[in-house]
Amino acid sequence: MSQSKVGSISRQDMINDLLGKYGIGVVMLIMMAVISIMEPAFLTGRNIINVATQISINGLLTYGLCLSITTGGIDLSVGAQLALTSCMIGVCLRDGMPVALACLAGIGIATLFGFINGILIAKFNMFPFVVTLSTQLVIRGLSQVISNGQAIPITSDAFKEIYSGKFLGIPIPIVIFVLITIIMYLMLHWTRFGRYIFAVGGNVNAAIASGISRFWVLVGVYTISGILSGIASIIFTAKTGSAQSNIGIGYETDAVAASVLGGTSFAGGIATIPGDILGIFIIGFIYNGMNMLGVSSYYQSVVKGCIIIGAVLMDMVMIRRKR
Amino acid sequence: MRKKVLSLALVTVMALSLAACGAKEEAAAPAAEPAKEAAAPAAEAPAAEAPAAEASGADVNGDGKVVIGYISKNIVDPFHAPINEAAQQALDKMKADGVIDDWTGILDGETDPNKQIDRANDCIAKGCDIVIMLPAESEASDPALLAMNDEGIKVLEVNSKTASCDTKAFAFFGSDDVQAGEMLANWVLENCKNGGKYIHCTGILGNSAQIDRGQGIENIMKDHPEFEKVGEPDTQWKGDLAANAATDGIAQYGDELVAIICDNDDMSSAAQRACNDAGRKDIVCVGVDGNQNPLQMVKDGELGATVLQDGIGQVMGAIEAIQTMVNGGEVKSNPQIPFVLVTKDNVDQYLK
Repeated sequence: MSQSKVGSISRQDMINDLLGKYGIGVVMLIMMAVISIMEPAFLTGRNIINVATQISINGLLTYGLCLSITTGGIDLSVGAQLALTSCMIGVCLRDGMPVALACLAGIGIATLFGFINGILIAKFNMFPFVVTLSTQLVIRGLSQVISNGQAIPITSDAFKEIYSGKFLGIPIPIVIFVLITIIMYLMLHWTRFGRYIFAVGGNVNAAIASGISRFWVLVGVYTISGILSGIASIIFTAKTGSAQSNIGIGYETDAVAASVLGGTSFAGGIATIPGDILGIFIIGFIYNGMNMLGVSSYYQSVVKGCIIIGAVLMDMVMIRRKR
Repeated sequence: MRKKVLSLALVTVMALSLAACGAKEEAAAPAAEPAKEAAAPAAEAPAAEAPAAEASGADVNGDGKVVIGYISKNIVDPFHAPINEAAQQALDKMKADGVIDDWTGILDGETDPNKQIDRANDCIAKGCDIVIMLPAESEASDPALLAMNDEGIKVLEVNSKTASCDTKAFAFFGSDDVQAGEMLANWVLENCKNGGKYIHCTGILGNSAQIDRGQGIENIMKDHPEFEKVGEPDTQWKGDLAANAATDGIAQYGDELVAIICDNDDMSSAAQRACNDAGRKDIVCVGVDGNQNPLQMVKDGELGATVLQDGIGQVMGAIEAIQTMVNGGEVKSNPQIPFVLVTKDNVDQYLK
């Protein structure tokens, strides 16, 4: 009797654990199955590559937001960072700089502003929401300053290759996304820095007591978020072939949504990169799938919002169970 | 545990609701199917060679189905919402009548070239034959056209052109902004017989509509030395900036200021309102678009006229072209949809 009870509890724990880790994956599989039954063109290699290319920009932004959310903060400046990097690259290429140097300059300026975000948040203890809400204005303003508010056409074919080119038959945006994903996974789950991020987000006092530098963890996290938005912007700019200051408005929304879907907790201290990948793909499938099914655009936002709320609800229940 | 299963179920339901929205659309299709099947034999029976002609027309990719894509510029702007609505009704009807097999619905371009490129790739994946696109940007939306063109999709650009529209798009349905500028200037000539000073409020500099409309105004005004342009403020399509320019102009030039020509009618209506408030109803303000607010002012006699850009006419031109292609006919690559001068006499036609 007692033995069977023990057995059932452990089995229940196992199911709980599986649901907690992969529940969102189940949602994704169900989604994929339903969409592909209704529209066979959905589950073709071509469309999956199409979606994977589409999500690369949001994917990179999501990792940045995942880190900042995990430390208990948020980075609202990623959309503006897209615009600033784009304009920086546009100006550099227009002035005849080599592609690699222009990309470095673009990533450099995004990194700088990520660093500034980090300093303001960590050093002066300001709320991340307020800091990044303000710096995004500065960043977008600067992008208007350096571009004079005009669109700068990108004429360099070598630069546009970053989006349209292929590496071993795989579109380069996907290659970049996979590489960054591996780096992020190793960083967050295998390194000391990764553990510090969880520690600062989970219980900041305990983290400080155990000798972790809250300052450098936060600065590091926001700087990485800057770098990632810089790389995302390179893909964005190569994709549209035009550098302009009005891009990326509202892009933080999809990135927050993807990381929350992926199990990143706003309470801090909880996140996984595999979860994020699922979240990123779900957001991509929502857009692509609804368009394939011919769901009216007027309803798409409603559906997207409902799916996110549902997933977060699920996340809350899981966490309460675990604690 | 029960809660967990419940929440999982909830999410699943929400995911399925996505499919359900699609199902509604699907449900409409079978209803249309019998009608199409009934129509098809009737059409094929009299002319045995008809199917060959049909295949060459609109079924571009040769999969036996005619699928239309529609990439909007956005679904919120007061100029674009009625265009989308007209397209939705017309394409739904074409699907119900069996003229086309399917269409994507209004895809939301979110005024974002990145999203428009994504939607273009969705259209490719869905196997569209013909895609109507209202570009968000001239340069940055161009890759959407190129990607679809590479796949052999016939792209019909509506309202504004992307950079390689003339060489890559199958056809362009728009209006000649130079003509709009000339209409603006002519309206001022008619209503200010004695000449005088005028201000030209511009759209965002560098935008093709701003450049061409300015060109049209110059075309007319260069032959009329009795008119003097005293200012060309950078009003960026914005009504509040145009209103400021109007009050500044009244303060600076007084009675010598006779007209304010604006690149759009959000600006001309705001400028006219500012003039009227300043007791200068005599100043002639005129602009382009035909938005509802300026039209209402025309009806109320507060604004003399506005030049309507017939956006619905443009998109309907594209949809009629699809109909022509289905019938196997030729489509003109660059038809012009004329602007319409709206005054008190014909405003009721356009005011909703």
